[in-house]
Amino acid sequence: MEEPVDTATAILASAAVLLRERTFDDISYRALADEVGISERTIYRQYPTRAHLLAALSNWIEQACFPLPSFVTVSDFCAAVHERFRAFDTLPAYAYVGARASAISPTLDTEPAYITRAIEAMLEVAAPTLNRRDRLRVAASLRYFSSAMFWARLRTGFDLDAGEICDAFDHAVGTVLARLPEATWAQP
Amino acid sequence: MGAAVTGSTAVPALSGTQGAILAAYAELIEELGSDDVSYRVIARRAGIAERTVFRNYPTRVDLLLATAAWIEATLFAREESHSIFDVPLAIREAMQRYDARPELAHVVAETAMRGVSGAAPSPGRAQLERLLDAEVPSLDPAQRRSVIAALSHLDSVGTWVTFRREFGMDGRDIADAAAWAAEAVLDTIRDRVTPAYPWRRGR
Repeated sequence: MEEPVDTATAILASAAVLLRERTFDDISYRALADEVGISERTIYRQYPTRAHLLAALSNWIEQACFPLPSFVTVSDFCAAVHERFRAFDTLPAYAYVGARASAISPTLDTEPAYITRAIEAMLEVAAPTLNRRDRLRVAASLRYFSSAMFWARLRTGFDLDAGEICDAFDHAVGTVLARLPEATWAQP
Repeated sequence: MGAAVTGSTAVPALSGTQGAILAAYAELIEELGSDDVSYRVIARRAGIAERTVFRNYPTRVDLLLATAAWIEATLFAREESHSIFDVPLAIREAMQRYDARPELAHVVAETAMRGVSGAAPSPGRAQLERLLDAEVPSLDPAQRRSVIAALSHLDSVGTWVTFRREFGMDGRDIADAAAWAAEAVLDTIRDRVTPAYPWRRGR
């Protein structure tokens, strides 16, 4: 039987509340069940493993806290990513969940993230004549430098704040785009 | 310097028992996934008592972090690059190793994304800084940091995970794209090499 939609959502909302005071690993299904006021079994029915819970929680957080501003041009793309990195800095515990969920072996939908499709669409407009291989290289690089993983790595491994992470992002994007021949770019 | 290790992660010395536990767990992750493996099953596979596993790794997080470090240092070990301009080649080879062990690659990627309670996300940073400072010492601090950050990010299993998940790329395409991106980062500093390395120019 399918649970009502709001049970699944209530579980995620409660997990997000608990995430303010402890790490994801320290949120037990028991504590989560108490927080929502349902049985532990109900949670297992919705999220059979912690990986399922992590993936769903990350999607929920993404929509609730880190909506991606839409973009068409490369400069809009960079502005949108800056905004996200700054939002990550204000809610680091949530952003780490996103970074972590994007690293696990896929459990739920294996659909690419919205930002991936948006980057591909952007390149189609900005660089219509680009060959398939270079398009894939550029799209994958831009996607990876705009990820929660990039933010998490620079915050934990390099102790950088959002402003510095945005600078490193701009530099990386610049190097990738500079590799393409000038004639690639659509004339405005 | 010169130690014949991985060039990145400093591996804590393990006892024989610990090595057996981590190897057994890594094996079981590949067979069952990381969620479904109990301490009892790990102990049986390693041929030791369950309480010995608990004594060495009191929590699952302890066990997982130790296993991720062990995987990086053994199965995903790489040869040390001797030039910053060799890094794209090292990245290409690393991606192929990740592609051969997908479950383990995900485990390593995930433990590096846990913030302060996880594994160090850029174990190769010091090595990259050594190479860059020796070959291209004239960079200003912000530029140096950007180059190191970009290369550290690309030289990680996160690259393999993201390229595969988001673009459905196979191992060959991932290795190609990751090395290509690293070359792009290095393009910006090729004309800044010190005279001690003139042959690096325009490679």
